[in-house]
Amino acid sequence: MLMSGGIDSPVTLHYLLRQGHEMLAVHMDNRPFTDDSPLEKVVDHLTILRDRYHQKIPLYLLPHGSTQIQLMRETDRHVGCVLCRRFMWRSAERIADRERATFLATGESLGQVASQTLSNMRSATASVHLPIVRPLIGFDKQEIEAVARSIGTYAISIRPGLCCQAVPDRPATKSSLVQILKEEERVDVDAMLDDVIRHAVVL
Amino acid sequence: MSYSALRLCSGRSAFEAIPDPRLSLDLAHVRARIQAEGVPVIDARVMLIAGRRQEVTIGRDGRILLKVPRAAEADRLFERVLGWIDRPRA
Repeated sequence: MLMSGGIDSPVTLHYLLRQGHEMLAVHMDNRPFTDDSPLEKVVDHLTILRDRYHQKIPLYLLPHGSTQIQLMRETDRHVGCVLCRRFMWRSAERIADRERATFLATGESLGQVASQTLSNMRSATASVHLPIVRPLIGFDKQEIEAVARSIGTYAISIRPGLCCQAVPDRPATKSSLVQILKEEERVDVDAMLDDVIRHAVVL
Repeated sequence: MSYSALRLCSGRSAFEAIPDPRLSLDLAHVRARIQAEGVPVIDARVMLIAGRRQEVTIGRDGRILLKVPRAAEADRLFERVLGWIDRPRA
């Protein structure tokens, strides 16, 4: 389960834990394009959900800042968010394979932010093979916030924190997979992923 | 060109200054000035990230983000950054 520190991901995890799934969390550490707050929020979210569901829920912390730097240097900025997400998915899948997990999960809901359009989701998730579950896909923000309040994660999510500085001024809302694959050829995807996984830390 | 006053960024954990109109900085030149002062800097092509404990992001368009918690600290750091980019405060 990809955890960002925002409002949606602990709610997603809550639903999956409630269904009885054994879960593990992955946080892409985006420093220096953000500050320490997303990681601190994820740790606090997990503390609440571990207590509530009596599950260990290991947290994999994966460095993502160097990936972002390379993407910013080598690829078209407008599709940066899609490329970034493809790396997040691939990194999560590598961890899933290592842990023999059978699916990936995310707190995405349609149309919430620029990168979460249907075409961008398709371009982003075409990078992985495992099924992806999105329990919140049809929720609106008010519904998600109400659940977050009820499980006690909302106050943590809205603590001060820096947004991702790598987001371009005008991120693409409609991307074609052909264009994305062409951009991705400019970087060594496997070497970058190997590096991310080599520096993974379990908390 | 003028920089608006430093203001708390939307995430409330940093301060930002945005020039009006936007600039077109020569980031290679700015990076060299920062490095000349012995400050570590990451060049992400469209932005520089400088410093260690007091981190500053400088966008090519002149947007400055100061990752410090207090206004007085941000103000001091802002003065230093204006020197790096060779621009006066408004």
